[in-house]
Amino acid sequence: MFCTRRDFLKATLGTSTLLSLTSAAPNFLVRKTMAAAPRHDDRNTILVIVQLSGGNDGLNTVVPYADDEYTRNRPTLHLQPKDVHKIDSYLGFHPRMEAFSRLYKEGHLSILHGVGYPNSDRSHDGAMRTWHTAEPDDPDCQTGWLGRAADSVWHTNRKDTPAVFVGPIVQPFSLMAEHVIVPSIQSPDDLTLDSTPAKFQQDHAADKGNELLRFVQECTTKARVNSRRIEAVTKAAGGAEYPAFRLAGTLRTVAQLIRADVGIRIFFTELGGGGIGGFDNHANQLGNHCALLHQLSESLAAFIHDLKRDKLLDRILVMTISEFGRTVKENGRRGTGHGVAAPIFLAGGKLKSGLIGLHPSLTDLDNGAMKFHTDFRRVYATVLDKWLGFESRIILDRQYEPLDILNV
Amino acid sequence: MAVQIEKLSDSGWAWAAYEPDAVRPWNLAQAGHLYRRAAFGASWDRLQQALSDGPQRSIDKLLRPQADTVAFNRVFDEYEASVGSMDGLRAWWLRRMIQTPHPLLEKMTLFWHSHFAMSGAAVKSTRLMQQHVGLLRSQALGSFRRLLEGISHDPAVLIRLGAANNRKASPNENLAGALVETFTLGADHCTKKDIREASRAFTGWFVLRGKLRYIPREHDENIKQILGREGNFTRDDVLRILLEQTATSQRLVRKLYRWLICETEQPGEDLIAPLAESFAEDYNVLRLVETMLRSNLFFSPAAYRRRIKCPVEFALGIVKALEGTISTTQLATDLADLGQNLYDPPTIKGWAGGRHWINSATIAGRHNLASSLLRGSGPYADKLNPWIVAKKHGCSTPESAMKFLLDLFLQENLDPVVYDTLLKTDQTGIGNGSDDIEGKIRRFARAVITLPEFNLA
Repeated sequence: MFCTRRDFLKATLGTSTLLSLTSAAPNFLVRKTMAAAPRHDDRNTILVIVQLSGGNDGLNTVVPYADDEYTRNRPTLHLQPKDVHKIDSYLGFHPRMEAFSRLYKEGHLSILHGVGYPNSDRSHDGAMRTWHTAEPDDPDCQTGWLGRAADSVWHTNRKDTPAVFVGPIVQPFSLMAEHVIVPSIQSPDDLTLDSTPAKFQQDHAADKGNELLRFVQECTTKARVNSRRIEAVTKAAGGAEYPAFRLAGTLRTVAQLIRADVGIRIFFTELGGGGIGGFDNHANQLGNHCALLHQLSESLAAFIHDLKRDKLLDRILVMTISEFGRTVKENGRRGTGHGVAAPIFLAGGKLKSGLIGLHPSLTDLDNGAMKFHTDFRRVYATVLDKWLGFESRIILDRQYEPLDILNV
Repeated sequence: MAVQIEKLSDSGWAWAAYEPDAVRPWNLAQAGHLYRRAAFGASWDRLQQALSDGPQRSIDKLLRPQADTVAFNRVFDEYEASVGSMDGLRAWWLRRMIQTPHPLLEKMTLFWHSHFAMSGAAVKSTRLMQQHVGLLRSQALGSFRRLLEGISHDPAVLIRLGAANNRKASPNENLAGALVETFTLGADHCTKKDIREASRAFTGWFVLRGKLRYIPREHDENIKQILGREGNFTRDDVLRILLEQTATSQRLVRKLYRWLICETEQPGEDLIAPLAESFAEDYNVLRLVETMLRSNLFFSPAAYRRRIKCPVEFALGIVKALEGTISTTQLATDLADLGQNLYDPPTIKGWAGGRHWINSATIAGRHNLASSLLRGSGPYADKLNPWIVAKKHGCSTPESAMKFLLDLFLQENLDPVVYDTLLKTDQTGIGNGSDDIEGKIRRFARAVITLPEFNLA
């Protein structure tokens, strides 16, 4: 006969206690096993990435309206001081980012200036790959930083996926893991069972000695529980209002999955579409960029207010990323070229301050683009260590100096 | 059973050929087990044939089928040569797995695809990826030596590993690292220095316009020190040295053990050693696979349902049992969502497999794929119909059809409570929403293939 749970109990607890403990013992043992598993992910904080594909023009997003160099370099693209939503006497949000301006005033939005990395080749593929792998010096890196993050918290009894991509494009390389399967979903339906199997399937005693079967059973039970929770959330009346943009729909899905509490710690979302991405405006930038920023601003604000209303905001950190900023000087086609430094936005309930770091100089340039002063891997490390409670040293292969940006 | 488990630690008994007796009879469960491991599942006729053939004859047929596999594969090679996309290759491979007269060959090709795990997204050439998987197939049950040689000559491999311009002045360490560490010895049996030295032996090889070329003046002619040997080694010398290491045969036998026999327990040294020694003699894959499949160990409780099905096995198990022809283009996409995108394994280490396949999200995905396959409408249309299959095999009532489907999909004796409840409970959800027998049987079949047991190979 196989070594059964009963034998195991006998060995651990002694025969005499077995009879009195038959019902209590398995739970006790389950708890003990769980305590022995890695506990890197015992927090319930959540990270939401919004990727702005194509290289966002930071200068026309957070606008140094009072800088003469700005107006001088951008004869057709510069935004008027009277139109921007002023942050201070130097900076203001793009005119269509009124919602971001409000978030900022409420203390739910931070701007990290001058983020980038050394020796960018300024190609979309190379730069996006770098932001995804967080390994600029290793062109053959086969995993993404969030994929490695997911791998780092995996253990043999883990039943929920720690990360998910929400969106219609091919899953971004950030989530490429060596071991864990990170699902891509488009709506909460993808995580719900299209029928509720009879309950007996979770109750029946299976092949007693087969740990794999037990594991699959437990995951099946968990899938069923998650499915019910998601359905309860999506069917609930009186949901928050979201604008009709695609990103807003995506973030609504994220909010629903957060409310359903299905164990996902990392959500990856995207604005700008697949391929090179809508933020890449080499010509006639103004209108297109304006529309994208408006979508970003309105969608994200709806998301933040939705979660704030449910008192979940303290668990949420949103971070935008984009492969690079753009050149200070506009080109002859009312567009801009690929640059270096750009701002990162953070949104959530536990931010330390609004403006972080100095706005990079518009005159001390690197081949026409603003220089970065903060390596993006320091931001990643901060988010991993301070926010998610994961081990950035393992995930990023080095310990980066954290930034003091979170109120945790 | 206790006797059996004890005997399993005796490697002589474990690897000896299984012969049915009163204690360990040859039955439907054993036949189902064989077809899950050595194929992608089986139709009812196939299971019945195996039952009457007995284990040895069934295994003969799996190893060396009578049908003209060469001709079959030639036709599919031609289909593949005319597709212009990786999506097309995925669909044709799945179709080949379903229709092949030699499923074990495809099963082993899939094994090697996860061992020499080249990603089409990185190689960026449909033609080279087709050639690459063709190479895996050509030696899937052949010689590991020739397979490894082929891999080291394969343009797809060189491109994937960034070794398409392997100059003397800047030897590529990825290719050497993959060949020395990932494909043969494993991380514990070589040093960074071994890899660095081996990389010099690989210099001079280039991929130009998709073809392998050797440029002698770019080959490093100096002395290299690899794994305790010293000499002016070439690429072929390095491969020879790697194949002489016991770590190589040991590691491959362990990996195949996990693929064919069991992934829950690490096999002991004494269990692996005799197979590894025999394998190292000539690296004959067929003989190794044959020993494993025929063994007492293979047909023991230590192997039964001791593997988690990869998504391909999960889906094709349904398709093979229900004898239908579905859209494999759609299937390839659905399998990618479950974590197994053919022609695109995550890293060169392949799919981690085992428990990694399963979490609450992938279970939801498998459940919904099962429903989709059985729905009778939608992306898979009305290609799989369990009621028609049951009738074809002699069932005339819903009750007999349900018992038939349990045998077809699971074979074994389920827990009596599950068995009874399954038969009594009216399932909901799919089958055109109708209450007719067909709809009822569709729902029943879905309930069976979403049981946790069906996720185990």
